Amino acid sequence: MIVVAFCPNNNEVHIYRLDEDKWEKVHVLQKHDQVISGIDWSAKSNKIVTASHDRNSYVWNLEGSEWVPTLVILRLNRAALCVQWSPKENKFAVGSGAKTVCICYYEQENNWWVSKLIRKRHDSSVTSVSWHPNNVDSSCNNINRREVPSIFHLYKRDSKKSTSSDWKFGELIVQLDLSSSWTFGVKWSPSGNTLAYVGHNSMIYFVDDVGPSPLAQNVVFRDLPLRDVLFVSEKTVIGVGFDCNPMVFAADERGVWGFVRYLAERKPVSSGSRYGAQFSEAFGKFYGQSKQGVGNDAVETSKTRGAVHENCINSIIRLGERGILTRRFSTSGLDGRIVVWDLENEPDLLEL
Amino acid sequence: MGSTLRLYLTCIRNTLHAAMCLQNFPCQEVERHNKPEVELKSSPELLLNPVVICRNEAEKCLIETSINSLRISLKVKQADELENILTKKFLRFLSMRAEAFQVLRRKPVQDIDKEISELKMSVNTRGRLVATEFLKQFI
Repeated sequence: MIVVAFCPNNNEVHIYRLDEDKWEKVHVLQKHDQVISGIDWSAKSNKIVTASHDRNSYVWNLEGSEWVPTLVILRLNRAALCVQWSPKENKFAVGSGAKTVCICYYEQENNWWVSKLIRKRHDSSVTSVSWHPNNVDSSCNNINRREVPSIFHLYKRDSKKSTSSDWKFGELIVQLDLSSSWTFGVKWSPSGNTLAYVGHNSMIYFVDDVGPSPLAQNVVFRDLPLRDVLFVSEKTVIGVGFDCNPMVFAADERGVWGFVRYLAERKPVSSGSRYGAQFSEAFGKFYGQSKQGVGNDAVETSKTRGAVHENCINSIIRLGERGILTRRFSTSGLDGRIVVWDLENEPDLLEL
Repeated sequence: MGSTLRLYLTCIRNTLHAAMCLQNFPCQEVERHNKPEVELKSSPELLLNPVVICRNEAEKCLIETSINSLRISLKVKQADELENILTKKFLRFLSMRAEAFQVLRRKPVQDIDKEISELKMSVNTRGRLVATEFLKQFI
């Protein structure tokens, strides 16, 4: 059974369930009053955390057949932009437009989630956060910034269980300034050895041995920039973004990353689309009519973009539990589509 | 359409294609607000370098991009008085319907050139027709 939670670009979260090849809306979560910027569903504890531009965040718990929200004391004075559960699902991190990151945990006596602010401020909004698989140690987040290269902060969280408690909470481990543009979609590999993120300059960055002496690689690609990435294995990354078509990146035996191929073959766009046809299409938009049918060879250049998605893909999420290998994942785009992909259908990628 | 014009328009189209990688982004300065950063210019890190595409002195295109908004400014050729008037009228047409033309903020408006010459032609045709009708009285 597949259940999907998504935000239809408003203040609600819709939950759909797949029933015999038919999607059915089962729940609508209403509590926020501005657009929701982040949703994360914990696989084990079955909780949904949402973050919104209204500066708030809620943790939703399924009680009976109803999703009940629990307040999160974020104490942010700007929009919350991104949220992610820690691997053990006892904490979550919220990145915000207030240029800060909060780590939130549950407080039993008051029945709410409280946040602990990471003191060190970023230079700009935090566009994505990602937890290191070891849970207690580090969360990593990502900043958009120009001129001065993008900055990465890695934080260690002190914990009684952790043996390496010589790190204080919210201490900066390393700052990476590889990209001179906005950066998005930071993710750790399943083992936590590699970090991947994308820049708005159509580049993807891979960082090994994150620590005092990190090893970084970047891959330049020809298409529009990416928005989000997902590690499907230790050596394979799927990137999604403005190009409407997921891209596969992989590392070879020597650990050199490169672009492999698009996940979906795009329809052949006839490059010789007549110029006049483009004009009449634009005119049609102008007059609010569809003039796209003018001439049979009129190819709508703006429409035949991706093979499956027709607009920018916003996010890519794994389906199922966290593991070393991810076989199924879903992507959601600005065209209002959610697509579930299965790598079993792509045999050549399984060998990577 | 002249081949130089075509190159010019293709250049604008390609630049816009890359510049239109926009996203929803809330204001960093004022809470619970969401403003076009290209107009606001409050945070320099949210703006990209503006691009000017210039065909000649009279025909230019300025594209300014920020993280959540894009501004296109076009300078349309106004070679003679009629074109001048047509441009003014067209501008007025657009500004009076600004609410209805939401798409103008995001989509190429590169057809202005063509529209102007088309309008010019139709004005000329109409002028000729009116003159003919007028002269018919005297035949």
